[in-house]
Amino acid sequence: MGETFLFDKKRYGYVFNIQHYSVHDGPGIRTIVFLKGCPLRCQWCSNPESQLQNPELGYNPSKCIGISKCLRCAEACIYGAVKQDLEENDKILIDRQLCKECLLCTEACPSKALEVFGKQTSIDDIIQAVEKDSAFYARSGGGLTFSGGEPLMQADFITEVLKVARRRRINTTIETCGYAEWPKFAKVCQHLNSLIMDIKCMDTEKHKKFTNASNELIIENFKKLCEEFPNLPILVRTPVIPGFNDSEEDIRAIIHFIKGRSNVRYELLPYHRLGQQKYNYLGKHYPLDGMRLNDETFNRLKEIANSLE
Amino acid sequence: MESCCNVLSPHEQRIQEEQLGKKNFEGRERVFQILTSFQDLRPKIDVERAKYFTQSFRETEGQPLVLRWAKALKYTAENITVYIDDHQLLVGRAGYQGRYGILFPELDGDFLDVAIEQLPNRVESPFDVTPEDAQVIINEIAPYWKGKTFHENLAMALPEDTFKLTYDPENPLNSRFLVNETATFRSSIQWVHDYEKVLKRGFKGIKEEAQQKLEALDPMSPVDNMEKKPFLEAVIITCDAIVLWAKRHAKLAAELANKESDAQRKQELQDIAERCAWVPENPARDFREAVQSQWFTQMFSRIEQKTGTIISNGRMDQYFYPYYKKDLEEGRINEDQATELLECMWVAMAQFIDLYLSPTGGAFNEGYAHWEAVTVGGQTPDGLDATNDLTYIFLKSKQEFPLNYPDLAARIHSRAPERYLYEVAETIKEGTGFPKLINDEEVVSLLLSKGACFEEAYDYAVSGCAECRMPNRDTYTSGNPYVNFAAAVELTLYNGKMLKFGDEVVGLQTGDPTNFKTWDEFWNAYVAQQTNFLKHAFIQQHIIINMRPKHFATPLGSLMHDLCMETCKDLHTPAIEGGIDLGYFELMGYGTVVDSLAVIKKLVFEDKKLTMAELVAAMKSNFEGYEAIREMLLNAPKYGNNDSYSDVIAKDVDREALKFTKKYSKELGVHLDLRLVPFTSHVPFGKVVSATPNGRKAWAPLSDGSSASHGADVNGPTAVLMSNFNSKNYNFRNRAARLLNIKLSPTCVAGEEGSAKLVSFIRTWCDLKLWHLQFNIVNKETLLAAKKDPSKYRGLIVRVAGYSAYFVELSSDLQDDIIARTEHSAI
Ligand code: SF4
Ligand code: SF4
Repeated sequence: MGETFLFDKKRYGYVFNIQHYSVHDGPGIRTIVFLKGCPLRCQWCSNPESQLQNPELGYNPSKCIGISKCLRCAEACIYGAVKQDLEENDKILIDRQLCKECLLCTEACPSKALEVFGKQTSIDDIIQAVEKDSAFYARSGGGLTFSGGEPLMQADFITEVLKVARRRRINTTIETCGYAEWPKFAKVCQHLNSLIMDIKCMDTEKHKKFTNASNELIIENFKKLCEEFPNLPILVRTPVIPGFNDSEEDIRAIIHFIKGRSNVRYELLPYHRLGQQKYNYLGKHYPLDGMRLNDETFNRLKEIANSLE
Repeated sequence: MESCCNVLSPHEQRIQEEQLGKKNFEGRERVFQILTSFQDLRPKIDVERAKYFTQSFRETEGQPLVLRWAKALKYTAENITVYIDDHQLLVGRAGYQGRYGILFPELDGDFLDVAIEQLPNRVESPFDVTPEDAQVIINEIAPYWKGKTFHENLAMALPEDTFKLTYDPENPLNSRFLVNETATFRSSIQWVHDYEKVLKRGFKGIKEEAQQKLEALDPMSPVDNMEKKPFLEAVIITCDAIVLWAKRHAKLAAELANKESDAQRKQELQDIAERCAWVPENPARDFREAVQSQWFTQMFSRIEQKTGTIISNGRMDQYFYPYYKKDLEEGRINEDQATELLECMWVAMAQFIDLYLSPTGGAFNEGYAHWEAVTVGGQTPDGLDATNDLTYIFLKSKQEFPLNYPDLAARIHSRAPERYLYEVAETIKEGTGFPKLINDEEVVSLLLSKGACFEEAYDYAVSGCAECRMPNRDTYTSGNPYVNFAAAVELTLYNGKMLKFGDEVVGLQTGDPTNFKTWDEFWNAYVAQQTNFLKHAFIQQHIIINMRPKHFATPLGSLMHDLCMETCKDLHTPAIEGGIDLGYFELMGYGTVVDSLAVIKKLVFEDKKLTMAELVAAMKSNFEGYEAIREMLLNAPKYGNNDSYSDVIAKDVDREALKFTKKYSKELGVHLDLRLVPFTSHVPFGKVVSATPNGRKAWAPLSDGSSASHGADVNGPTAVLMSNFNSKNYNFRNRAARLLNIKLSPTCVAGEEGSAKLVSFIRTWCDLKLWHLQFNIVNKETLLAAKKDPSKYRGLIVRVAGYSAYFVELSSDLQDDIIARTEHSAI
């Protein structure tokens, strides 16, 4: 650090979170940079704040200390979008019809109940944040992971970051849904030490229904990936979602598609509802309300998945 | 289980004992039988030690203190009840069967009578006492000590302005928790003996050395006559005392063997009798004798004096190893038998409870605290890796028999073998908090910088909670001051006063802060308050160092010390020639102070979001009616997040304290180094400090050790380590231990991959030259506690594949979901 970087300082990416000490997404102890913006709309999405690229207003009522004690947000809002919550009288409510997302209220709010999801972040900012943990990468083989959202939505930006990272000997990985134009995807891959890619379902119709996008591009991309980057370690992941792909046929179909390549590993992730609350913060509705993944089902599928190893 | 060094509250202890109950007994029938014989019993006070010490002291008035101590030990050894416990392979206890504590009236005799009446009703760490024993205490023991104890004399000797920072002026028994002394509730701070000397030479060998020295004294020399002679005589008497005590056990064991009908037990008792007749008088000849000899030595040491946090056990895997190896090679023992014998020691340790009668001592060590540090691993005196087969037996025992005794400390160095680190990681994953890790890369170089030679520095042993000692080179035993830095912040805000103490001017009058124009003005005022506290801490320590030898002697501790034997001086003598005096002073409330200063710097002086007057008004009302301001304070930069804004302030606070001790330690002739290890004392220290600018409410606990303020570390464990690193002044040698607790969820360390990542985390900690590290692998109980009391667990991360979240930010039903799922491996 301390060195001036030789790149265009005006280039920014949209980042909504930088998380240190990640031990489950790539080798070693890593730092995950979450990018904003995604081409899919998976019904189970646990990061709803990642879907749109621009900064968004989030409101977490449990952090609000109450109208009777504060109300600084209402004073700050010139659009009258801050209202009283009629169900919980002492809390505020954001009228999303009136809100212009000017974000003034987030500066006024002392408790961070009102917060911006997403921030323009420079290459410099990212590298500095990532290098804060470089002592840990040296011992663990960890480094930088781009996640999202979909990092390939900002392929040009991350390519620049990855280049700098590689020059500075930071190990690099991205987590992608694989839905991007191939040339951009390919360009990013040139600067990676490894890659994590979701393959959610081989059935195109079902894929469309649950993610709002067809899987054809994803499947094509995976094939090209394996051809053009035969030495890039790839971890394929499938989030197991009840009612969508939690059947043996679904998992076997994916295994059938990816098997026979020495650089590809496979892993299942159990469905969880950890992001549910954030839908409320954004004033959105969680599409999969009430769904549960059966433990037995998951364990059975996991055994099938392990057969690839 | 979140406070430092595994201080288990009785409730937590029960949880752990239940866990033990579920473990597989197989192969451990003996130790489980012993464990179940006492684990549900409430500790009892045994008065014998106090009674015989007092009787002996009545008879020896006027004699040199070290001689009086030796005679008291001998008298006690002759009269104290000896026991042989069912199933046990080791013998030697200092009181009643079951869990027990003993009394040290030379420390607290003057208020023993009052304390004893209150004790059974005490909420924290209660004890029982029989009516007969209570009578002995009240009628026989207490009256003798009135007017004679150290703290009575210290209270009289303190200058007035130091006194008022030290004790409650109304009742000098109570600390004021500002500039706190800890020298009066223990005879010595944590200490560790050179047990190897006893194993190799036996007390007979040491006694012979003393006799030769005695004969070689100059009969004309006043010093030889008045100082050395009584010391050497005391050594001889003490050697006789412990041997006599051991032989009484031999006799009893032989008697019991005769009566015993069970053939196996009969043989065991005969073996015990034989061993006790031979050790600790003579050099140990095998592993079993070595263990028995060490146990006698540490138990007799516990009878001799109250060492802070219990006498430490030293580098057990090193000094026992030659005996184990030889027995193994010659077929006299196998791994299981060695493990059983060691575990017999752990369950014996678990029955001796460190009893604090003074209110201050109790507050420092809540929940039957104990740190009888057993050190494993590290480097040999010639700088090679020291791990051996015994090292792994210790770690394995901790995994399979997760009792909270002994306190296990693993030394880590940069070339520690992978096998060792993986075994350490597996042990940590058990979730009991053991072992704590101590970093050779920090400790060894600091010991060298303070004048040790390589072989001593490489051979250090962990002592007490996080300290390190060179048993033949260290000579400092005075209890140390604990300084309330958070109170210095309060004094700056109220111009020398504190809300707790009304109109009394407690600190310096550094001016009304609402008139301060710049951050520098505020900072300088704060530093003046902090430095004033240190001034009084050092004055206090000066008196303590010089006064203690009139009150305490330790012939047993001294006879095991090369330098004491060489100079014929008791270990409690100030400045023994050739010694290195490693003491410390404690910085209380580091995180609280740093976060408070960061708020003032940023919100008041830089961003001007708040005026000083508003801040002061908010604090005076304990934030009532100022909730929005409190939220601003809580959301300001916080130490523990690898955020340079607060880390720079943290480093400045650290440096100012270091500068003071660098300058004035020399005058005292000792190293009073800066330390951050609070035990449980951050709670009582918090009780005198009103609301602080970091948003902490009045009277709440201060931050503990070098950890972040409660729940303020929200950037994960790497950030906690980095903030610690960033805030240390590596160019000063005047630094001592920093205690560091890290909480991880079991999923972060699950499986082989989890172990690998834990190992690399530990290696990075070693690279960063941080002193101490201890993990809490948080389990379901903790999650439940976190759900109930989220403010304490804000930094707790839970993982669900591909996504992680702060547990306390999840909704209630999701938390339940995760709690239910912690028993699976899926999180
Ligand atoms: S973002 Fe702007 S418009 Fe929306 S509530 Fe906040 S201040 Fe009002
Ligand atoms: S400013 Fe924040 S804390 Fe205050 S009322 Fe609005 S949301 Fe609640």
